[in-house]
Amino acid sequence: MANTVHWADIDVGHELRPLQLTLTSEQVRRYAVVAHMPGGRFMSDEDARQEGLPGQIVPGNMSLALFSRLIQESLPGATLKRLGATFRGLVRPGVAIAVSGVVTEKHCTDHGDILECDLVLESADGDRWVTGTASMQLPTRD
Amino acid sequence: MALEIDRSIIGSEFDRTQFEPVKQEEILEYSDVSGETGTTDATGRLIAPPGFVVRLRGKRFMPANLPKFGPNAFDAGKDIEFGAPICEGDALIGVSTVHDIYEKTGRSGSMWFLVLRTVLTNQRDEQVAVIDQKMMFR
Repeated sequence: MANTVHWADIDVGHELRPLQLTLTSEQVRRYAVVAHMPGGRFMSDEDARQEGLPGQIVPGNMSLALFSRLIQESLPGATLKRLGATFRGLVRPGVAIAVSGVVTEKHCTDHGDILECDLVLESADGDRWVTGTASMQLPTRD
Repeated sequence: MALEIDRSIIGSEFDRTQFEPVKQEEILEYSDVSGETGTTDATGRLIAPPGFVVRLRGKRFMPANLPKFGPNAFDAGKDIEFGAPICEGDALIGVSTVHDIYEKTGRSGSMWFLVLRTVLTNQRDEQVAVIDQKMMFR
């Protein structure tokens, strides 16, 4: 992999390149179908309102996938070892979101050289709708 | 009245699902909708991206004998530990258990949390993922 990031290249405090995006209703619906997420809440505003929600929402698993994508795109060559997320608020299609992360720890273990990151998915107003953490292994130079 | 929880449910298995072998098209379709990309192994087989594991849903999502926690249930979070990669052709087994039940009291009252753990293994008996799903009831 030509642009692989190595463990030695990254320091604590390194900020991952943020994803800025607005998910469409159709993207959310397609994700829900392919990821086997049942529930009208992921299908349309109308179905979601029948469940007492303000409108269609993004599945938590899709937010988790955005964290994984952030890591893949910011740290090519990284192998995800652990990924966790806390769903704190409703993420809606049609609303601008930013997905970002920062490296919080580096340590060497018997299983490889590991980076720890804090992750957040937030609104343009800074509302933190999903927070997370990740551990990943990065390749070392020979 | 406080809810009495029979904690003997913790550790009990409520689902065991043998999944069909993972197809290349399924990995590609998942990558397309999630934006996560797969890679290939040394033999050229497609490896699924990390988030693919949450697509593997067992036959039973919840234990049948749950206490009545409350009318509203929310997905509160997930924690996934990744092991061996998932490759096309892998035949996976998922075993789900009740991992924990606990109560928290906040400003809006009492909430119950249920943690369901699913362990996925492949046909070589290698652990592929441990997925802890936290559900909140109030």
